[in-house]
Amino acid sequence: MPSYSPYEWNESIQQRNEYIEDRLHEGSPVVASTYAGGLLVVSLRQQQRKVYEIYDRLMFSAIGNHSDIEQIRVGAIDSAHAEGFNRSPEDVSVQRLVSFRISPAIKKVYSDPFAQPVVFKGVFLELGKTPDRDLIVTVGYDGEFATSEKNAAVAGTSFAEDEIRKHLEASPVTENLESALATCIEAWGIGKHHLSERDKPEMEKAADPIAAGRSVVTTHLKDGWHIEAGVLERDTNKESRFRLLTANEISKSSESFA
Amino acid sequence: MTFMSFESSSSFMDLIAREQKSVGLPMPGPMHQGGMSQNIDTHSTTVIAVKYDGGIINVADRRATAGYSVMYDQAEKVLPLDDHTLISISGSFAKSVEVVRFLRHTFKYFERSQLQPMSLEGKLMELQRVIANNVPAALQGIGAFIPVLSTFDPEINQGRIYFYDGMGGQFETAEYGAAGSGSAPIRGAFEYILRTKGPFRDMDRLTALKETLTLLEIAADLDTATGGSSKHLPAAKFITLAGIQDFTDAEILEALGR
Repeated sequence: MPSYSPYEWNESIQQRNEYIEDRLHEGSPVVASTYAGGLLVVSLRQQQRKVYEIYDRLMFSAIGNHSDIEQIRVGAIDSAHAEGFNRSPEDVSVQRLVSFRISPAIKKVYSDPFAQPVVFKGVFLELGKTPDRDLIVTVGYDGEFATSEKNAAVAGTSFAEDEIRKHLEASPVTENLESALATCIEAWGIGKHHLSERDKPEMEKAADPIAAGRSVVTTHLKDGWHIEAGVLERDTNKESRFRLLTANEISKSSESFA
Repeated sequence: MTFMSFESSSSFMDLIAREQKSVGLPMPGPMHQGGMSQNIDTHSTTVIAVKYDGGIINVADRRATAGYSVMYDQAEKVLPLDDHTLISISGSFAKSVEVVRFLRHTFKYFERSQLQPMSLEGKLMELQRVIANNVPAALQGIGAFIPVLSTFDPEINQGRIYFYDGMGGQFETAEYGAAGSGSAPIRGAFEYILRTKGPFRDMDRLTALKETLTLLEIAADLDTATGGSSKHLPAAKFITLAGIQDFTDAEILEALGR
């Protein structure tokens, strides 16, 4: 194995970051938030599905190369089901899954200069037994992760993620599902809008980022993109707390963007 | 990625085998020699499933025995496998509960990893395989179990009932299914009801419940391993297109004539 000088190692890491971020840049943002009845995750997509169930109280969404997302999704499902069967479903938590399985695996690949890096940013959501125990964890392409209790976002730039979160914080999503979904769709538009906004000169930036974001949503819907939203519901008699929202449910929240 | 380079498949049994943590689960294996004089039909209890005009009813006594001793009188023998499927268990309680845990994980694992629900035929095959794999243990007298499986098939908008022999042989029934040591003495009573009162599938929900609980009471009178309803009410659930629901205590008491 060739040896690296600290400078070369630094260069190598930087090049990997550039390679990954370049590919993540145009990814459709993912917006995650709590609402009165549980947890909600929203994105817009063209063909490939973006929102997935992982386990009884866990769901997942991501941006990046679909093959990388798929590997991480299946890895998370395998780990969660093996643990849930061998011990108990109660022992499957997003904290354990991310800290001990997902994050170390991604970090290992990221640190190996001879491995193809994972082009991935993801968000895992866990529905707590009570709202104060809900947990949202974002995981980066380097294996680093961050936890949040109320909302989170993954997007092609950290600037866009910050703008999504700012919008969610400014309009707290604590009401019903319909309005929560509308707020998240709006936040998605703001995130998508800000993916290219930071590099623009000040005078070319949109005066009203919210209106600009809504316009981005409208444009994408006209271009044939679909809104995809999944929920983990706290009060349900069904076996699974996860479900994808129906076209009818989504249209109630998205009609103002048409 | 090391942990994600799994030989991924849709089979939960493969996953557990890879994890090498399986304990007590009926897995394919060599037949042990000797000590095979036990009768595979040893399965103390009575569980009954009947069709009614809107779905399927499942009832079961609550007694768990070991030899001639009553070990427990609040056993739950009617267990959900998914939103539209109930399994009523007779035989080794420990093995049955393990199998139910396995099947629940198997169905969910398939749906979550393959992004489509397992077909009814697929679910039936999984159950048949588990029973067949358990034959060596059953022949040694350490864990025979024989279930009745009830499901509401949304494809044909109708309930379906399957019963099994000890080798995993599967039989679909048009009206009713029963298993356990108390099921044989009441078999004639099923036929009597069919010939004198008409098919179960034409009865309304509460009429069918009344007939079914009467049969369970007769089984309790004729079979020492089947508990009566004097100390604890029997388990009673029903499945419709909307899912699985419990009968209320008031409905059960009324059906018992109290």
